[in-house]
Amino acid sequence: MGLIQWATDPWGLSVPIHIAWFLIWVALIAGIAFLIGHVVYVRYFAKPRQFTADPPTPSETEIPERVARHSIAARTFHWIMAASMLVLLFTAFLPKAGVQFDWVTYHWIAGTVLTASILFHVFHASFWLDFGSIWPDRIDMKDAWHRTRAFFGRPAPLPRRFAKYPLENKLYHGAIMIVGTAVIATGICMMFRIRTIFFTRDPYLLSDMTWGTIYVLHGLAGVGLIALIIVHIYFGVRPEKQPITKSMIFGWMSREFYLDEHDPARWIVSRQQASRTPVASRSED
Amino acid sequence: MPESKDANLAPNAQVFGVGRKLIGKDYPTPDLYAKVTGRAKYAEDFHAPGMLFCKLLLSPVPHGRVKHLDASEARAMPGVKAILMPDDLPPPADAVTDNGTVIKANPKGERALTMEPVYQGEPVLAVAAVDELTAANAIEKIQIEFEPLPFVLDPLETLRPGGPNARLDGNIWIKPAPAGNQTPAPHLGQLKWSEADFAAARDGQLPMGKTPDQWTYGDLDAGFNRAAVVLDETFVTPDTSHQTLETRSAMAYWQNGKVYMHTGTQSTAQTVPAIARWLKVDPSKVVLISEYTGGGFGSKVTAGISLIIPALLAKKTGTPVMMRISREEETFIGRARPSLMGRMKVGFSNEGRIVALDMFVLSNNGPYDAQGDAGAAGRIVSLLYQPEAMRWRGATILTNTPPRSAQSSPGGLQGIMIIEPIIAKAARRLALDQVAIRRINCPEGKAPFGPSVDGTRPHATSAFLKQALDRGAEQFQWKERVARTPKRIGSKARGVGVSLSCFVGGTIGFDGLLVIRPNGRVSFQSGIGNLGTESVIDVHRAGAEVLGVSWDKCDVVWGNSEHNLPFTCVSGGSQTTHAMTRAAHATAMDARKKLQEIAAKTLGGAPEEYEVANERVYRKGDGRDLTFAEAAQRAIQLGGIYDGHESAPDLHRLTKASVAALAGQGLVAAAKDTYPRDGFTFSYVASFAEVEVDVETGKYNVVDFLAYADVGSVIHPRSIGGQILGRSVLGMGHALGQKWVYDPHYGAMLSTRFYQNKPPTILDVPVNMRWGALDIPDPETPVGARGIGEPPVGGGCASILNALSDALGDEIFRRAPVNADTVLTSFEAGRPMQHPLMAYI
Amino acid sequence: MAVIRDVMPSFDLLQPNSADEARNILAQRGSDAWVLAGGLDSFDWLKDRIKRPKVVVDLSGVDELRGIRVKSDGVEIGAMTTLTEVAQNPVIRENYGVLADAASMVASPQIRNQGTIGGNLSQDTRCWYYRAGWPCYRAGGNICYADTPEGRNREHAILGADRCVAVNPSDTAPAFIVLDAKFVIRSRKDERVIDAEDYFIGPDVDITRLHVLQPGELFTAVRIPFTWASSRFYFEKIRDRNVWDFPLLNVASAMFVSNGRIDRVRIAVNAAAARPLRLKSVERAVRGMPPDAATGEMAGKRAVQGAVPLQFNAYKIPLMRNLVKRAIGGVEEAKWA
Repeated sequence: MGLIQWATDPWGLSVPIHIAWFLIWVALIAGIAFLIGHVVYVRYFAKPRQFTADPPTPSETEIPERVARHSIAARTFHWIMAASMLVLLFTAFLPKAGVQFDWVTYHWIAGTVLTASILFHVFHASFWLDFGSIWPDRIDMKDAWHRTRAFFGRPAPLPRRFAKYPLENKLYHGAIMIVGTAVIATGICMMFRIRTIFFTRDPYLLSDMTWGTIYVLHGLAGVGLIALIIVHIYFGVRPEKQPITKSMIFGWMSREFYLDEHDPARWIVSRQQASRTPVASRSED
Repeated sequence: MPESKDANLAPNAQVFGVGRKLIGKDYPTPDLYAKVTGRAKYAEDFHAPGMLFCKLLLSPVPHGRVKHLDASEARAMPGVKAILMPDDLPPPADAVTDNGTVIKANPKGERALTMEPVYQGEPVLAVAAVDELTAANAIEKIQIEFEPLPFVLDPLETLRPGGPNARLDGNIWIKPAPAGNQTPAPHLGQLKWSEADFAAARDGQLPMGKTPDQWTYGDLDAGFNRAAVVLDETFVTPDTSHQTLETRSAMAYWQNGKVYMHTGTQSTAQTVPAIARWLKVDPSKVVLISEYTGGGFGSKVTAGISLIIPALLAKKTGTPVMMRISREEETFIGRARPSLMGRMKVGFSNEGRIVALDMFVLSNNGPYDAQGDAGAAGRIVSLLYQPEAMRWRGATILTNTPPRSAQSSPGGLQGIMIIEPIIAKAARRLALDQVAIRRINCPEGKAPFGPSVDGTRPHATSAFLKQALDRGAEQFQWKERVARTPKRIGSKARGVGVSLSCFVGGTIGFDGLLVIRPNGRVSFQSGIGNLGTESVIDVHRAGAEVLGVSWDKCDVVWGNSEHNLPFTCVSGGSQTTHAMTRAAHATAMDARKKLQEIAAKTLGGAPEEYEVANERVYRKGDGRDLTFAEAAQRAIQLGGIYDGHESAPDLHRLTKASVAALAGQGLVAAAKDTYPRDGFTFSYVASFAEVEVDVETGKYNVVDFLAYADVGSVIHPRSIGGQILGRSVLGMGHALGQKWVYDPHYGAMLSTRFYQNKPPTILDVPVNMRWGALDIPDPETPVGARGIGEPPVGGGCASILNALSDALGDEIFRRAPVNADTVLTSFEAGRPMQHPLMAYI
Repeated sequence: MAVIRDVMPSFDLLQPNSADEARNILAQRGSDAWVLAGGLDSFDWLKDRIKRPKVVVDLSGVDELRGIRVKSDGVEIGAMTTLTEVAQNPVIRENYGVLADAASMVASPQIRNQGTIGGNLSQDTRCWYYRAGWPCYRAGGNICYADTPEGRNREHAILGADRCVAVNPSDTAPAFIVLDAKFVIRSRKDERVIDAEDYFIGPDVDITRLHVLQPGELFTAVRIPFTWASSRFYFEKIRDRNVWDFPLLNVASAMFVSNGRIDRVRIAVNAAAARPLRLKSVERAVRGMPPDAATGEMAGKRAVQGAVPLQFNAYKIPLMRNLVKRAIGGVEEAKWA
């Protein structure tokens, strides 16, 4: 069974037309399998998390009770994106799973919302947020190496606490960025094939082969998102991650959680900042 | 509406052939019962033991080159016996005419298979297997990839500066001048117009750039200067497939070095040399069996080159091979009429006389040999409307669409379609009656046509079209219908239309051959194709009439080239009835002369003292006689010229061979038609139609139709009626809806099936269509008969177009076919809404 | 792989003798099975090797699916009843003239002798791109070739298009809709009865099918209630040729008129969209009005609201307007001197 659905174009050329739809189920099962695997691992095998010796504690007064983590703009973006993403996934894949409804309009509108929100996010993150905070740094890499060695029972120094975002979070952001960019870029092209308010329709803008590739990429990215989003939601609802989830709702996390998980040296928080837009400091090693 | 229940108007109530026994009389043709009972065997009905079937791989691209081909998987399939590739075909061969002229083969002409297809649907290769299913499955296993090349569907697009060419080397054929007794092959050239040429035409008008061909006569400018009305109109005619019900299926096998070919053709005699040339074998090695042909209309003049595919596969496998052509394949390879994009400026005097006519046509030729439609359109228009001064300009443009060939009234139909709506419009402008304006322009007698050749314009043998127009108008009750009111009730509007029509109707110089057998029966050897017109049988009635033999003593031998057939015209250009009644007459006269000589030799006296009648040759006065049976026996005894051991020197080599083969079987008569003829032979028709249009839906129906023909002497009324009305319907299809639909992006035809390309059905034409014929003999042929196949076609179409504009006005259509969509949108908008220059919708 | 048309590939042909047997086969073979009724749609697909079912289930031997039966609450027509039988049946002609008219205008006499009611209602679209085997949306691909800047779409949709612009070609569908017919669909497990208009779906819902019939299901019969029997009917089909042609557009209506006012009315058109359209807003608008030309004009204008023409099918808008006008207001018969 091929991963790509091929068809013969009017000139007899074999061209891809979209992904094989069974990949939806593959992604769904992969996401759920990860989820089960992780639950089992955490329940039965995971060792308690250990970090290197406490970093020098900043004076209590410098750390607010509520550590500001996500601005209202950032939170609004996140939830708009989340909503549009879910709409996109459901409108894309429910019909393939046999639930018939008029999905295209919702899909392209949700896609437009997603695109707009992401454009906002890129702009916002570039100029107002600490752009670097989401990218893995050298400490992350070093710690990742140490954690991996420890996982396999090899001697390794304990990792440091996290900066504003744990490495997993950063990697997830990276993955969603790549997949999201693929799905959006291809999705925008695909809007030339349907009637929207944006473009003059031109289904012959690209060659049959290029179009096919675009549809396949869109599909692959789409099913990739199924798995990624299952994983994301799973972590969002895990008990130990709930403070992070709450921070995406309310904008802040507790001082205790902050001090437990994060390295104040790598994510500098001050009272002043708490009252303003929380700007994480550049993490410097 | 006037009903035709009136005895005077009943169809076919006319009496023809007054004073004659066979000519002008109805009779059942000997092929009739087999046809109506389904026992007639067409090519596809022949099955040879062990026969294989072949299927074709067709090009999906309108122009491209095979860049990758792997047939190994197909070849390895059980049941697959052979694959025929373009490389397996013999190279194109030169043709040699009877007077020794060598027509050089066009190296870029059409072949049966090709690695560089120039239209979608062109065959690339063929697979022979034990059955069609295996052959088709094998084709699906062939890996093939094409490199797409530039393509063009629309003649105007290729004429634009920088426009794509249909062939890599150009978009027109250029014919070099003949050198000695050689006609060199045409070569490809490029014709492009300037942006200014395109800009000069108003929207919807055909641009007119330079053309490779033109002719003129008379003073055009003076004509336009004194014209009371000058109209300048663009009109575009449709591309239409021939759509014979029998596709060009063929079955072939080889035996003792001879190829036996079963296929449909428009000429039994002349297809043999064509097959020989295509296969590069001697004509004596070709046997063609073609007793029945399911229609030709110009698409099977000498059958089709695709027939060599089963022949070559049969040779390769040593087994008979059947190639059944499907309807879709026939749409691709089965030939079509080129559409003409026409623009005509016509000046009319106050009386409606055409004083000047400037005609410009572009023919959409497809990718292969140039068709003559553009030129024929000009000549037919010049003959049929006798303009006092005329210029014709034309170009035949190559496109990546299926190959064209002559189709019933090639060029004639298109020319008539272009001019007739203009004449109708002019009559309205000048407040003239539509019959009257045609009457004043009608050809009469030895009417001239076309440009001067060596200082004089050629002329027709005769034309009695005015009488046909008058009789037709009378029978159609033209005046009453025109005067009738109201023209519109509710959403229904009625209109009447008349059209002139004509096409070539005969050639000369062919041979006839008959044998009076010792049992007294007369065998007429017929080399004519049995394509449904009945001329294969009919023409011999002229011979039987001369011989005074009763028809039930006559046998017609046809449909098998082994049965010793004479050199015969192809049944194209409506020449058969004319050409072959002349040959039959000449042959019967030869038989008569031989009978008289045999009688004189046997019974004494001089040959001229003897008469031939009632199956006897007898001496006037004393009643001494020989029956045909006795004369035939005597002929065998006498030998020499009497029983075919010698033949006349002017006979064609094919006839001579047949005479030799028949020698000794009885009195063998063979003669070439050497009767004089002053002028070129044409036949004429006046066509009348009434339509009812529903202006709320655009749908219209032809409610009445009558065609009155000037075809010389009528040979076989029922057959001529079938031809007049049948071919009128062929023409009507061009008005009513027959078309091609193409996707311009992929250059792919979308209308490959009947329900998509819409040939007219029996319910699209009036139930009681009527015909009549003048039955005035043509003075330039001994039997008086002219051909009738093609002349009615243009009138069938144009009378409907004219009836439509009578009902709705002139601002409805500028191209055909005219369908409900055209009528409805234009009527609503009050101007033609369909762009005439946009094709294939 | 090269493409070849017009040679039927091999498949298993199963010929059940009863509806139960047919249902069992369909249930077992699921989407591998192709239901063959009259064959007029099926054979095109099969011969052209575009649809490649493993199994063809020929219903021609299932007698219980044939015939027209009068019941207490209406008439039941077996799905395998031929169009000729429907067009000529006295009960149908007497009570449901609109259906008899519609059935008698399908294609050609030969096709009506062979074609069935179930097949006519369930047939696929005739979009020439789709039928040519091009990988369009309807064929599972990602483009509508007809709705491209140069696409040939004279016979395509003016309403309800969503990516795909194909139309439903059935002539009897609008007649059944105005008669408020119910379609009986059986699977091995159960039987469902759905309203005629709900049987058909547009590309917005499922771009690859024209109706809701699922693999494994069998369309067994049409039930027509007496609700609209002998009401005032109108049917008109506009086609290029007078025989052997699909509709450019057709219209069916049924109405009861009392005291010169439209009391109850149903009206439907087909070949305007991928599904036959019941014009409910027209029905509402004309209720209580006299069935005359003025009401017809109003109805026609309302019917085409929201119509979107493609490059070559703009004529369908005035055509639909005028057909709806006639279906409501009647048409003047021309009596020529």
